[in-house]
Amino acid sequence: MRWADLFAMSLGNYGRARLRSVLTTAGVAIGTALVVLLIALATGAEDNVRRSVFSIGDLRLVTVQPFQPGANGLSAVPRTITDEVVAQLRRIGHVESVFRQFDAPLGTIVEGGDDATIRPQGIEPNAPVDRGDLLAGRHLALGDRAVAVVPGNIARLIAPSVASAIGRRVTMRIGGAVKLGSTRIGGSGTPRDYGITVIGVFDEQASGTSVRIPLDDALAAGADNRGLTPDTIKQSTGYSGIAIEADDSTNVADIVRGVQELGFSSFSLKQVIEQIDQGFGVFRGILAGIGGVALLVAAIGIANTMVMSVLERTREIGIMKAVGASPRDIRALFLAEAAYVGAFGGIVGVALGIAGGQVIERIIRNLNPRTNPGPIFVVGPDLILAAFALAVVVALVAGFLPARRAMRMSALSALRYE
Amino acid sequence: MGVPAVEMQGLERVYRSGRSTVAALAGVTMAVERGEFVAVMGPSGSGKSTLLNIIAGLERPSAGVLRVDGEDLAALDEAALARHRARRVGMVFQAFNLLPRYRVVENVALPLAFAGVEPAARHAKARALLERLGMAARAEHRTNELSGGELQRAAVARALVADPAILLADEPTGNLDSASGATLIGIFEELNAHGQTVLLVTHDAQIAAHAGRIVRMRDGRIAE
Repeated sequence: MRWADLFAMSLGNYGRARLRSVLTTAGVAIGTALVVLLIALATGAEDNVRRSVFSIGDLRLVTVQPFQPGANGLSAVPRTITDEVVAQLRRIGHVESVFRQFDAPLGTIVEGGDDATIRPQGIEPNAPVDRGDLLAGRHLALGDRAVAVVPGNIARLIAPSVASAIGRRVTMRIGGAVKLGSTRIGGSGTPRDYGITVIGVFDEQASGTSVRIPLDDALAAGADNRGLTPDTIKQSTGYSGIAIEADDSTNVADIVRGVQELGFSSFSLKQVIEQIDQGFGVFRGILAGIGGVALLVAAIGIANTMVMSVLERTREIGIMKAVGASPRDIRALFLAEAAYVGAFGGIVGVALGIAGGQVIERIIRNLNPRTNPGPIFVVGPDLILAAFALAVVVALVAGFLPARRAMRMSALSALRYE
Repeated sequence: MGVPAVEMQGLERVYRSGRSTVAALAGVTMAVERGEFVAVMGPSGSGKSTLLNIIAGLERPSAGVLRVDGEDLAALDEAALARHRARRVGMVFQAFNLLPRYRVVENVALPLAFAGVEPAARHAKARALLERLGMAARAEHRTNELSGGELQRAAVARALVADPAILLADEPTGNLDSASGATLIGIFEELNAHGQTVLLVTHDAQIAAHAGRIVRMRDGRIAE
């Protein structure tokens, strides 16, 4: 039998008991819609979380911390990141660039009688923290000394506007007592003043207290504070952290392993994302399972309909067999009919799921007009295809036993059936 | 000469129900030559319908040899037996057995559909046959709009659509009034005159009289 004839005939059979076919198809549509809706919800939630993680930073980034690996919080065992360590880090495979960071002791910007507490971060030009977040001016560049990139709130203390802070010379006091909130606490060492020129202002959303200064300035200030030289402080205290950029985010895991083998703790957003993905995988699985139960109920409906259909058409099956339908033809006819139920149910269900998601999303947004999350229901082409395929496969599985029953029916007894 | 259209040797068919067995066919040996018009007569229960069903490939014999158009049916699996029903034999039933949902032309073309012939070709063939049987005007009708005589002529057209080696008819006039029955037998005679081999089962002596040869059955055996 030709495929075109097969599908034409079974489409006719599908359309014959119209009400029953429509009801069975509705069952499949509801099950499919639920699967689509729930998976879209899980995907939307995951996307929202991922997006907020992405907004924190770059996925290619691995941060090396001056601790032993596996440690966290109070149990962290310190380890010194010396220049030899940095050289070793550079040799790890897939490492594209390495940026050293040295945090000088807490200090203040002394300006107009109102001291602002700052955390001076000594960084190298083009360090990942010093990219693409400028409100005015420029980032740190090679050869810069006695300059700073400051957060917007500090810029506004210095000058009436962010733009007018550029080029202003201010005093940065490092060490000594600082103000944290409303309380003054004794800082480390003797306070010492440094004249710096503001060259850039960054969006304080990232940090309202960090002041980005050249690495060598920070090392010098840290050494001054403790009466040491920059070289000895590199050797004894070491760097505060190292930012490593991978050539590709897929290689981050390799770099993390390399860092740990050197005996240092590391942090990467990539790994956070992977954990999020894992967690959401489980979440999605549970939701898909709930939708799957609905689809299972629909499958039972299909099986019931097909059993009825086979019984009703016993005589027709007999006639078809008598005039030359092979057992495969008969089975294919009923399977194709089940496939129609699955396909129509799948199409309607996917549409229903998408439409339902949009309606629910609109309601949620109207209820909370001020919160503005990303899309709550996310339906991609893969979900559409997978849900449709699932509906068809479920229908075929449900139709298999009734179809086999039709196939095995004796032509002669089917002809005698009234 | 060539091979006979149907050839049987010691054909048996035994039905079992519980401990008792009933032999519907108890060793039938006969042949139907090409171009013959044979009527099988006998009272009900004589095994004549069983004989026809076995030749049609709707039932398998319990023992014995059966060759249709030279092919040994015992060697055929279910799929091959289906092809046998579609192409080698054409069956006309007492109860017409047309599919009420389909148009007459679709019913007639059905065996060719299962044989994989494409719609244009099989419908052309079906229309030609319907025209030959005086049914051209009814081709596009549904079967419930047809009279008994018309239904049976459509069924004959369906039986002939694949050019079978033999036309099998099981009490074809059983549900027809005498005028329609006479028309149908006329059709069989005319088909036979053009070379179609016909094997007809009936208990009506008047119908059987139109055949070239009459075979009488009793208790699963050929009576004479």
